[in-house]
Amino acid sequence: MIVELLAFLMIFPLVVAAILLVVRSNGARKVIVGGSALVIAVASLALVALYLGAGRVEFAFSSEALSLACAAVDIALCAIVIGYAVRYKNALAGVLAVVMIALVLVFEAFFAHGIEVEHGFYLDSLTLLMVAVIGVVGSGICVYALGYMEDFQAHEPEGSKDRRPLFFALMFLFLSAMYLIVFSDNMAWLLTGWEVTTVCSFLLIGYTKTDEAIRNSFRQIIMNMIGGIAFVLALFYTTGSLGVLSLEEFVALGNAFPAVAALPAVLLALAGITKAAQMPFHTWLLGAMVAPTPTSALLHSSTMVKAGVFLLLKLAPVFAVSLVPSVMVVLVGGITFLLCSFMAISQSNAKRVLAYSTIANLGLITACAGVGTPEAIWAGMFLLLFHAVAKSLLFLCVGTAEHHIGSRDIEDMDLLFERMPRLARLMMLGIMCMFIAPFGMLVAKWATLVTFVNTGQVALILLLAFGSAATFMFWAKWLGKLAGIASDAENVEGTVHRSEWIATGVMAALIILCCVGMPIISWMIVEPYVYSVYGTLAQDISNGNLWMAAIMCAFIVIVLFASLGGQGKARRVDVYLAGVTAEQGTRRFINSMSGSSEATARNWYMDGAFGEKTIRPVGEVCCSVIIVTALAAACAGMLGLGL
Amino acid sequence: MYGFETVAVTIVATLVFAVLAPIVGCLLSGLDRKISARMQGRVGPPLLQPYYDVRKLMGKENAAVNGSEGVYVTCAFVFTLLAGGVFFAGGNLLLSVFLITLSALFFIMAAYCTRSPYAEVGAARETLQVMSYEPMVLLMAVGYFIAAGTFDTAGVFSLDAPVVCTIWGVLIGFLFVLTIKLRKSPFDISMSHHAHQEIVRGVTTEMSGPTLAKVEVMHWCENVLFLAWTALFFVWGNPISLLVAVVVALLVYFLEIFIDNNFARVKWQAMLKGAWIVALVFGGVNIAVLAFI
Repeated sequence: MIVELLAFLMIFPLVVAAILLVVRSNGARKVIVGGSALVIAVASLALVALYLGAGRVEFAFSSEALSLACAAVDIALCAIVIGYAVRYKNALAGVLAVVMIALVLVFEAFFAHGIEVEHGFYLDSLTLLMVAVIGVVGSGICVYALGYMEDFQAHEPEGSKDRRPLFFALMFLFLSAMYLIVFSDNMAWLLTGWEVTTVCSFLLIGYTKTDEAIRNSFRQIIMNMIGGIAFVLALFYTTGSLGVLSLEEFVALGNAFPAVAALPAVLLALAGITKAAQMPFHTWLLGAMVAPTPTSALLHSSTMVKAGVFLLLKLAPVFAVSLVPSVMVVLVGGITFLLCSFMAISQSNAKRVLAYSTIANLGLITACAGVGTPEAIWAGMFLLLFHAVAKSLLFLCVGTAEHHIGSRDIEDMDLLFERMPRLARLMMLGIMCMFIAPFGMLVAKWATLVTFVNTGQVALILLLAFGSAATFMFWAKWLGKLAGIASDAENVEGTVHRSEWIATGVMAALIILCCVGMPIISWMIVEPYVYSVYGTLAQDISNGNLWMAAIMCAFIVIVLFASLGGQGKARRVDVYLAGVTAEQGTRRFINSMSGSSEATARNWYMDGAFGEKTIRPVGEVCCSVIIVTALAAACAGMLGLGL
Repeated sequence: MYGFETVAVTIVATLVFAVLAPIVGCLLSGLDRKISARMQGRVGPPLLQPYYDVRKLMGKENAAVNGSEGVYVTCAFVFTLLAGGVFFAGGNLLLSVFLITLSALFFIMAAYCTRSPYAEVGAARETLQVMSYEPMVLLMAVGYFIAAGTFDTAGVFSLDAPVVCTIWGVLIGFLFVLTIKLRKSPFDISMSHHAHQEIVRGVTTEMSGPTLAKVEVMHWCENVLFLAWTALFFVWGNPISLLVAVVVALLVYFLEIFIDNNFARVKWQAMLKGAWIVALVFGGVNIAVLAFI
């Protein structure tokens, strides 16, 4: 029964994708996408419900045919990349794809044979968490895309080709590949899912075919190909020297004999770091925002980057005992968190702020994985969950706002509280969930801090302390922009598609449920995982404090949706303008020439201190040096062992 | 085991704090004005003047720019009280710190929601102030954990020596940002109580009557809590230490008043740089030394 459910989750989105590719009618597409999104969400939740609290469950399954098919898919994907590289004359991407094909062929011909992975698929609580995120958040975004893409197509120039069938097919293909990644114990299959997500996001980023989109999509593919190649090289080593192809066996081996597993751990960590868009590879995720907003939401919240941190969290037991990979992952994650939080201060483009915040938070999860203790994993899993739900809500809100106020600039979101009252409140909920106590993300950060203190990671404590301060700055000023109230603003919310309300509503409900139910999630999902991997229980924050946070969350949500924006009992007065107000309800005042002037205010961006120009090179150099040093140290260590 | 008793104790402590902190805070504020006046060669108002002021504000007409400002201020007030409750219930110091940040956020949003140009300037500056002191305040909690072995404030009573013996560097750093948190010159950038420093009073520009009274009482409670954070450094297993801690807190308060009366406001760049460097040098080095030995 369970095996069938697993297979269904991997195959069904694939079938839907194939159907969507040929369906050209908008009405039919709506039915198919809506219906299958619901089916995927229900199936995912059913799987979670069936296995809630259970430890690791393995399914005896190995198939030579599937392995061959996976290799064929790997090669086909590279062929697609080569095709694009030729058409757009991008030599580097082409070369990397050719190298990748060669490596996959060599791997299939000489390394993969004779190595049996007995339990091809497995389930544990981390997988369940990912299944819930992919199934609910991922398919929610697909539903949102229905309405969004309709508006998007309407904004396109007359007579441009409607390429939405491809768009929706890629979205569902993405979900299928994500399921393959989280279910596979066979690392070769995992690699195939990994590569499918890479190429899917390549195609989605380039969707609009503008010069910028093509440029950014190639940046993405080049960086992620590097990660893919590192992944294959790691497989060469694990199969050739260690004789394992199972992720579980590799982690167990690495935990028992840290020295022999150092090099493959570094390589796999590098693959995870590229996918999770850590510095110096962070620019691909920034470039990804040229794509239609549902793509960004999908890449940032439930898929793609989450595959990267998923792999890192899986490898955590190796990092816990192995110095070189651990130091690399910890420092890259920590530095990325600090510097990307800084750079977010200097941005006024909402999607760019969200992108930097994503990279920063992934950095924190990466750092947690690198620390690798049970407490760190507890924190990392919560960071992953809350980031997924809050960030998807924020992207969807920004996308909808963009279509109705004609801008994604935070400065243009003035008075959104009045112009789009419901949307502004949802956005405020998402923002608060990202950075302030008692909401989930901050509680998870709190746990992270406790972990770092317990393990004596001084550098990480400092990075976290300063990074959090920057986080407060850029979220609070955005929140302030949204909160402004004036009586004369016109409500432009009426034309928002119903599918968009459904998706944003689901995400908001998820945030509230997860925040209020945090103690229960800890007990049902996170602790079982920690126990199944480490054999000990770990919780950074006491139940009492978790419940207090839960109660306060509920209180704030009630205030946000029920009390704010009311008329109140107070007599209404105009704002103080240090002069005579020219027009009631506005910020116009009579100036010294008896004319009228408007008082305007912009947020602070402090570009001189926190601008990309100053900070980006620092981060790129630091992280590159760290990665290269770690690779060199791991290679030297391997030579020292005489392997 | 499910932690519900923690919740219950915190609620009780919050209620007690809500009654006592305004009384103590009011007296402290009166003392502040008295001492400041003496430093400036004046006689100064009676000790209970802050109380008279607030009572008068309560009696004023309730007028506001919109209906939400009051809601935000009430939220800020409630979370300040909760932060005090968590602290005095012997609860988690980090949670107390986070709740004060939450309270600061609501206060900032109260200013932003009015869309008054002066209040917006104040709100932006207040945001910057939070960013300036936040690292050091977090490091203060971390330092406390390293010295006391727990984040729970109740842990001090089982110590043989006060935590200041091991984390005096952290204390110095914390005293520096305490000036920002107490809204004293030279760091009273978002709203100043010195009339010569600004014409329109930043964050609270649009707040009047009962709302302003709430802000005032909230400020008293905050002051009590921040001084209590300072006092925590000087408490250990001996009951006499509580007396020592109170005396130290009062001395620190006197020091802050002295600084307040002797410095002119600085630019935000100086505040941000100063606070972060101090956090890195005093907080960071102290914690690093403790972690590596």
